[in-house]
Amino acid sequence: MALSCNHIFFQYPGASTEVFQGLSFSVKQPGFNALFGPSGVGKTSLAKIIVGEITGYSGKVNADGMTRLLYSYNLERLPDWSSVGRHLDKITPDSKEEHKEALVEVFGMTDYMGLRFSQLSLGQQNRINLMRYLLQDFELLIMDESLANVDEMTRESIILKIKAMFPDRYFLYISHNFVEVSKFCREIVVVRGPLKQPQTLSLTGIDLKSHQSVDRDRLEQTMLEIMNAA
Amino acid sequence: MLPRRIYQFLIIFLLGIAVLFAVKYLFGLSDYVIPSPADLRDTLAAVYKHYGADVASTLSVAIIGQVVSIFLALMVGILGRQTTWFGSFIKVAAYNVQAYPIVAIAPIIFILFGDGFFSRLLIAAMICYFPILLSVLGIMSEPVKEIEHFYRVTGRMRWQLEVKIRAFENLNKLTTVISGSATLAMAGTIVAEFIAANAGIGYSIRIALYQSDLSKILVALFLIGITLAVYQGLLEAAGRMIGKGVTVTR
Repeated sequence: MALSCNHIFFQYPGASTEVFQGLSFSVKQPGFNALFGPSGVGKTSLAKIIVGEITGYSGKVNADGMTRLLYSYNLERLPDWSSVGRHLDKITPDSKEEHKEALVEVFGMTDYMGLRFSQLSLGQQNRINLMRYLLQDFELLIMDESLANVDEMTRESIILKIKAMFPDRYFLYISHNFVEVSKFCREIVVVRGPLKQPQTLSLTGIDLKSHQSVDRDRLEQTMLEIMNAA
Repeated sequence: MLPRRIYQFLIIFLLGIAVLFAVKYLFGLSDYVIPSPADLRDTLAAVYKHYGADVASTLSVAIIGQVVSIFLALMVGILGRQTTWFGSFIKVAAYNVQAYPIVAIAPIIFILFGDGFFSRLLIAAMICYFPILLSVLGIMSEPVKEIEHFYRVTGRMRWQLEVKIRAFENLNKLTTVISGSATLAMAGTIVAEFIAANAGIGYSIRIALYQSDLSKILVALFLIGITLAVYQGLLEAAGRMIGKGVTVTR
């Protein structure tokens, strides 16, 4: 399995400028990878192109061996007609019950499963939304700001848990937090504006795992590389 | 909400009566043109039972007509929500047909079905059907992307779930439209009765008109207004209870 995009050209209907002009990148191994770049550069558009939610582009997206590609974003909501716990029960396959319980705990949601979505804080809403995606069958999950409004400590433990639980899946984490991206991601695809060529640069992150400590110098160097690339 | 509806109606009705009396006394009009307050009181005492029964008859037809039209509008709205050829056809047809005044079609209905219950029901249902349909079509055609996305990408979306999400997200709009359509249903029934039917308060108003008896017409208007205010208030209360029930009980 590998994910690659080759010579993607894309322009929104009615827009005067192209979002992508020959964008190419590849992520060769599963793991926790990132799509990084300034706001408005086209990260969300690229994510939607990868999962097939946007068509009308030219170029090729290769997701060899992957049949279930999911895209989650931080503005999603659960219907408010029942508690988030009941929603989660309904969409969790029997085979993933254990996963669910583990995720509820790590995501710090144990005490809130009886509440409805609108009664949760923004961070809790994003956590519950991400959890339901993690409980599906997928080979690739794109997390578009999926941990926005979640405190740093919880975010860190969530990312480490995801990495430990799903080592053979592809993740593309879209975030503007370059410390987090540098620290936890393995491959970092930096997306740049259409006037810059190449439109993406691939960097290697620290890919921190549970019980490992951060090499400060390496972290700083990675962060500098990301900033320069963007 | 119910008491407020009643207050609002009473204020407007009394203002209208006050204007009538002001015109009467300002221009010295006779009791044949605009009745005196005493005439009005006597007429009320004389006909309130008979007119009350007529209003109840009209209201029952209006309620049945409204229920029929809500059911039909939901069915057609659910079918028309799709972005398919059929969905577009239903939408275009709904927009075009509703532009035609039902009152103009009413004589055809009376010729074909006579002046009984069915004609009144049909006209009432048709008059309040299109506004409900247009609202339902608007609500059902508009995806709630931030909720529906998950169900679509994971292959869980079924039409029942789609309808449930869109209806739930627009519950306030739906209940407002339904309670608002009560006025239309009542108006539709009265118009039908006024044109050709043989029962109901519209029929009584027609007779009062032939007798040039403004007192009876004013009494009829009062009874129609107060009944409609109570009915709408009850519908709104039911809408609020449904909204609360939907969000609290689960």
